[in-house]
Amino acid sequence: MKNLRIVSLLFLILLVLILPFFFRSNQYGMILLTTILLYGVLATAWNIIGGMAGQLDLAAGAYLGLGAFTTGTLLLRFNLTPWIGIFVGGLVAVLFAILVGLPLFRFKVKEVWYALSSSALVEVLRIAFIMWEKIGGPVERYLPNYGSALYMRFSSYIPYYYIMVILLFASLFVNYWISRSKLGYYLIALGDDEDAAEVLGVNVRSSKLKALVIYAFIVGLTGGVYACIYGFIHPNFFSSPLSTEVAILGIVGGMGITYGPLVGAVLLVSMRELLRANLGGQLESLYLVIYSVVLILIVLFRPRGITTLLQDTFNKLFSRWVRNNHAE
Amino acid sequence: MDAVIQLLVNGALMGCIYALITLGLSLIFGVMNIVNFAHGDLVMISMYMAFWMGSYMGLDASLTPLITFPMLFLLGIGIYYALIDRTLRQKYVTQIAVTVGLMTFLRAVAQLAWKAQPRSLPYSLISGNFQIGSATIMTSRLISALVSVLVIVLVALFLSRTWPGRAIRAVSDDLDASSLVGVNQKATYALAFGLGSALTAIAGGMLMTFQQVDPTMGLRFGLLSWCVLALTGLGSISGLLISGIIVGCAEALAMGFWDPRARLLVVYLIFILVLWLRPRGVFGRK
Repeated sequence: MKNLRIVSLLFLILLVLILPFFFRSNQYGMILLTTILLYGVLATAWNIIGGMAGQLDLAAGAYLGLGAFTTGTLLLRFNLTPWIGIFVGGLVAVLFAILVGLPLFRFKVKEVWYALSSSALVEVLRIAFIMWEKIGGPVERYLPNYGSALYMRFSSYIPYYYIMVILLFASLFVNYWISRSKLGYYLIALGDDEDAAEVLGVNVRSSKLKALVIYAFIVGLTGGVYACIYGFIHPNFFSSPLSTEVAILGIVGGMGITYGPLVGAVLLVSMRELLRANLGGQLESLYLVIYSVVLILIVLFRPRGITTLLQDTFNKLFSRWVRNNHAE
Repeated sequence: MDAVIQLLVNGALMGCIYALITLGLSLIFGVMNIVNFAHGDLVMISMYMAFWMGSYMGLDASLTPLITFPMLFLLGIGIYYALIDRTLRQKYVTQIAVTVGLMTFLRAVAQLAWKAQPRSLPYSLISGNFQIGSATIMTSRLISALVSVLVIVLVALFLSRTWPGRAIRAVSDDLDASSLVGVNQKATYALAFGLGSALTAIAGGMLMTFQQVDPTMGLRFGLLSWCVLALTGLGSISGLLISGIIVGCAEALAMGFWDPRARLLVVYLIFILVLWLRPRGVFGRK
């Protein structure tokens, strides 16, 4: 069984790496793949704070926007290449996360109220950046140096795809590593029952803050790349729909399962984008109607996540296969 | 000084409507501990329905609640039995996921049915304005605020004087004990959810007398009503009015003295500060 896992993992890595060769001449396909991976990275990072620590964070857009704006502004003002800028963006997101997380966790804001306050945070930043005309303002600020690899402004989607692949494997690895570490056990314990965990000696506040900081760093980093992909920065990057969607992908995929949110992202985002591509045009929002219905159905009938459904079917098929082989 | 009074009057009148919207949210959250992320979008749907009634049936916006109230009531009961009832025993994350799905659904339906353009009704019976001292008062806003206060009082009476109302409060206080004395839990929850949704119909109708509606409004009203609820805490109806007025005034002052775009910024900042400093609300019972 263990060998099988390693083989299938290697197969998956290989598949992800060679996928662009099938889409070489298909620009739309590459955009689609990159978008799916982008959401995959965000949802996987969300798994640390949302899935393991059980804090329903709806502020992915805040950290994404901060990363994007830091990277973009550094490039626009100081001509600093995004290859460095995205890391600065990640650090800014971390600083903001600490600034927000300290009082939030100090005053024990949790569950619903944590979700709502993080959701309000995204809107606060969006409006603040629209009003802050030196950096943001209501118009797009376009990034220069299109086509220059030195400035991460590729003219094709393939390099972006590989950057997303790296980010994805990094965040998957961080996820896996945390879930095997002391911090991971703390997070899972406090996600289940905060008071009980505290009584047993888990430092709830600092564990939550660590989770938030790691999550913010990955999302901030991704935000920088996001700005380069789109080629501009705009306060609408602080997006509430995106933030809730990231959390939803994590929940639908399966909270606390390392690759759960990735599965959620791959299935739902590709479904959404394909629906949009086929139904767009005359009936603009029909795809969102179908998308939300599917979402509700999955949550209602598989509250533990769609990944568990796949696992169950896989186990069933696998055990039948083993049984058949032994019977022969 | 005159400008301040004018802003405060406008803000306070808006605040009464916010209190009415929040009353619906508070009923749902207080009774079944369900976080309804779609509440703001129910307000948005109500406003669109008022727009429909107004433009196709020629009904005045202020009278549309007569029709939209029962419709939203039924919609609320439908939502309860279809979605909420199945998730009551789940983790809160699942409940939020379901209502977020509902939120996306309502917003998409609104975009599909009414496109993304803002809509407004051309006229209302209760238009015009008059002068008190130095402040100009829009009749439509004044009447909307009065209707909101009246409805809030009626709901308070319903909750304290009638059998179904008392059942709602009993279920909210102690689910097991209330089932022991013969309260039907499911029906009471459905009633509370229906009533909570139906209250948005009144707010929506009144808002349409002086405002336009667009599909993104749900987010604004959603967070706004959560802000008012956070400020109030649970179980205080007079506190609801006070918090609504505080939020309305803060919004109006920010609009007048800082920047029109800052109105929501101030509301959200209040919200975050209240959550950090007074997580149980200022006027709350629980």
